Amino acid sequence: MVATQLLVGMAEIQVAKEGPLFVCLGLGSCIGLAAYDPVAKVAGMVHVMLPAAFADKPVDKPGKFADTGVPSLIEQMARLGASRSRILVAMAGGAQVFNFGSGGAGRLDIGRRNADAVEAQIQALGLRCLGKDVGGNQGRTMTFDSGSGLIKVRTVTSMERALCNLKGS
Amino acid sequence: MAGTLTLEDIVRKTTDLPSIPSAALAVIREADRPDASAQKVAEYIAQDQSLTARVLRLANSAYFGLSRRIMDNREAVVVLGLRSVRNLAMVASTYPWMIRPLKGYNLGPKQMWTHSFGTAVGAQLIAKETGKADPDAAFTAGLLHNIGKVALSIWLENKLPAMMAMAVRDDLTFDQVERKLLGFDHAEVGAYLAEEWNLPEPLVLAIRYHHHPDECDPPEPIVDCVHFGDYLTMSMGFGLGGDGLRYEFSTSALQRLAIDPEATDRLVAAFVASYEEYEKLFQDLDQAA
Repeated sequence: MVATQLLVGMAEIQVAKEGPLFVCLGLGSCIGLAAYDPVAKVAGMVHVMLPAAFADKPVDKPGKFADTGVPSLIEQMARLGASRSRILVAMAGGAQVFNFGSGGAGRLDIGRRNADAVEAQIQALGLRCLGKDVGGNQGRTMTFDSGSGLIKVRTVTSMERALCNLKGS
Repeated sequence: MAGTLTLEDIVRKTTDLPSIPSAALAVIREADRPDASAQKVAEYIAQDQSLTARVLRLANSAYFGLSRRIMDNREAVVVLGLRSVRNLAMVASTYPWMIRPLKGYNLGPKQMWTHSFGTAVGAQLIAKETGKADPDAAFTAGLLHNIGKVALSIWLENKLPAMMAMAVRDDLTFDQVERKLLGFDHAEVGAYLAEEWNLPEPLVLAIRYHHHPDECDPPEPIVDCVHFGDYLTMSMGFGLGGDGLRYEFSTSALQRLAIDPEATDRLVAAFVASYEEYEKLFQDLDQAA
């Protein structure tokens, strides 16, 4: 049977009982974070755009920022019965332009800052990260088959490769 | 192939060159004049029936949210303004060929369009935010910045894996690899086409120097706007091909635009919001395509 496909667009969060194939298409500097609770069999994915919400602006979509997106993903999964202590995650994305010339990257290195911000959230929430494919300068597509637990990452020029399995097998 | 063909040979031998209707080129040139006439713009659009139809469809799209239907292009110019209509004419005349896949760059259907349109929106935003360039001219320049890829694609088919391997091995950007392999890159091919079309000089410069704005002497703000728009578009993963983000970003361009790097995240958020708003333009165009 072909799994239902759940496209996780930019700044979106999708959660479901296990079964669907979660897909983050065209990750540049953005980060795709997949999460799974193997006991409650609850899965989810967020497509984070930026490291942190703006202090002076209301957050229209929590999935847009790492500091709101990751906690919101976990909270939405908890509503379906997941427990934070059991949740396993994997992340991909955070690409960046090849170089920033003589002036250095600073704040312009959104890919690296996104990856750092998502990792900080993973740590703060005490989640266990089983796989990470971040950095470089290639666009990525990340898929999470919540039926099998398999996380795959593909770049435009490379073959799809398995990153890890959130079911641990 | 390396070094055996000149840029002119490539352009002459490519059968599937990008084209812009002469009516749309006339619109761009007219809109660029300091004494541009709305009536002339309307007349130029009227010379091309399919362009007229597409411009009207765009003018009546959800993006503009007008309460009544615009029935002819003269009315479109009056209601939306000359500059907006110039941009619509550009969108209408590039969309049909920019949505085609470009195998040489590993770009699937619509991806060339997504990237070009993203860069148009990004360049326009930067021009507006900084006040350094005309936002509508920046839009057109962004839309056209990669036209050279359309001409070069066929010559690069099946070569991308080797080119990327060379880039990694020799620590090069993708345009450097193009130059190593061909003697010129997609930006130079694009600028050549833009000159053939007799496009205004700032547009030619933006196409030629979009990856190397520091080489534009004297500096041209529209070049810097397109460079930054391209960076925003690549970073957000819009229409990334096999060359990915393997390009250099010039922090000097940022300084010339007087953009505080601390504002990067806000510009990214504003860019994505603007892009998503603009997508309403195409709901009808897609249905009609």
